[in-house]
Amino acid sequence: MAFADPLAGLVAALQRLPGIGAKSAQRLAFHLLKTPREDVDALCAAMRSVKDRVTYCSTCSNITDADPCGYCTDGSRDGRIICVVEQPENVWAVERTRGFRGRYHVLMGAIAPLQGVGPDDLKIKGLLTRVGAGSVEEIIVATNPTVEGEATALYLARLLKPLGVKVSRIAMGVPVGSDLDYTDEFTMSKAMEGRRDM
Amino acid sequence: MRTIVADAIVLRTYRYAEADRIVVFLTEHQGKKRGVAKNATKSRRRFGGALEPFTRGRVTYVEREGRELVRLDRIEPVTSPMQSSAGRVDGDAARALGYTSYFAELVDEWAPDAMANERLYRLAASVGDAMSRAGSAESLARYFEFWLLRLEGVYPALSACARCGRTLVDGAVLDPGDWQFACARCGHGALTVSRDAFGWLCRAAAETPAAITDDGASVEVMRELEVVHARLIAMHLERDVRSARVVRELRP
Repeated sequence: MAFADPLAGLVAALQRLPGIGAKSAQRLAFHLLKTPREDVDALCAAMRSVKDRVTYCSTCSNITDADPCGYCTDGSRDGRIICVVEQPENVWAVERTRGFRGRYHVLMGAIAPLQGVGPDDLKIKGLLTRVGAGSVEEIIVATNPTVEGEATALYLARLLKPLGVKVSRIAMGVPVGSDLDYTDEFTMSKAMEGRRDM
Repeated sequence: MRTIVADAIVLRTYRYAEADRIVVFLTEHQGKKRGVAKNATKSRRRFGGALEPFTRGRVTYVEREGRELVRLDRIEPVTSPMQSSAGRVDGDAARALGYTSYFAELVDEWAPDAMANERLYRLAASVGDAMSRAGSAESLARYFEFWLLRLEGVYPALSACARCGRTLVDGAVLDPGDWQFACARCGHGALTVSRDAFGWLCRAAAETPAAITDDGASVEVMRELEVVHARLIAMHLERDVRSARVVRELRP
């Protein structure tokens, strides 16, 4: 027997979420059916609030509920250093280290020829404007260590170096806690290239 | 069910379900294959950087009867597109990386599924190797386009005018009527190939990719041939190549 229409609609909607298959969607739908109304209302309100209030920072393109975002307005952060990342979630990855106190710039992607994504499709102009304003001294390019991320980093280096800023790239190599025996040769060669004095 | 170990070049990957990826790869003797790389989206542990487009390596995959999709178990990379940026300055290195995706897209478009095309494989492998040595990425791209079209039998004959049969020595005109090279007297249309560009094509017909990248061809010659090749490719594919636009944007 088929589900009642509202339940079937909910299962179908949940199934469109990433990582949710038919079985998981059914389980979540039945869980919501049993959940008290106030909890379901709170969930709906939270989802609506995300759509209504979250926007992109006009300075760094990070997701925020206030424009400019908290990172751009925080006076304790060092405005002379900008860390460039591909996606907003990459900001969290850097923040988790608690070792970086500069500001960010989110490109909203990387140069991806096979997807037809070129430099003009990324938030590069905003970065050049920030650097052109004069107070920036170093750009740390923290794009992913893939062909796309590397092409983006090299392209940015070509644009930024003539503006008189230091351009650095995050190190690539052997992950902490891993074993050299299991490291592929390209990762190992990158690690050797990026070795440092002790 | 049989396990196959083969030399292959990764052409592209895309997401499949939540954690897996479909990998399109060209093998030397079994042609183009599509395989599921289990958990490749979620974890980089098994495949690492080996799924980057235009990585060449030894693949291990499992074929099952009646199934088009194979199961990709392992890739041991021999060359990586990441090597193509070594020894180049920033802008040129970005373009070289862009070109590896362009080559992968062209091979993907031209290689038929599960039909061996050893000459195409060898062309892609040799151009990939040449890209990892510093040299003109532009020359290598034109060389790749020239040989790809030639191997597929659609590059116009260089020897003589398609109309009057006179030997072509002073350049040629690519006639959009029949897409053949004609001499300046017989040919019509705006797609002209200068004497220098024509000379470069004749050299490319006889040289290895490594030799052609060091022959110091001018930027003008490369641009001329880029336009001609783009028209030929678009005519045969019946569409423009997506990555070509991006590579153009990467120019200084």
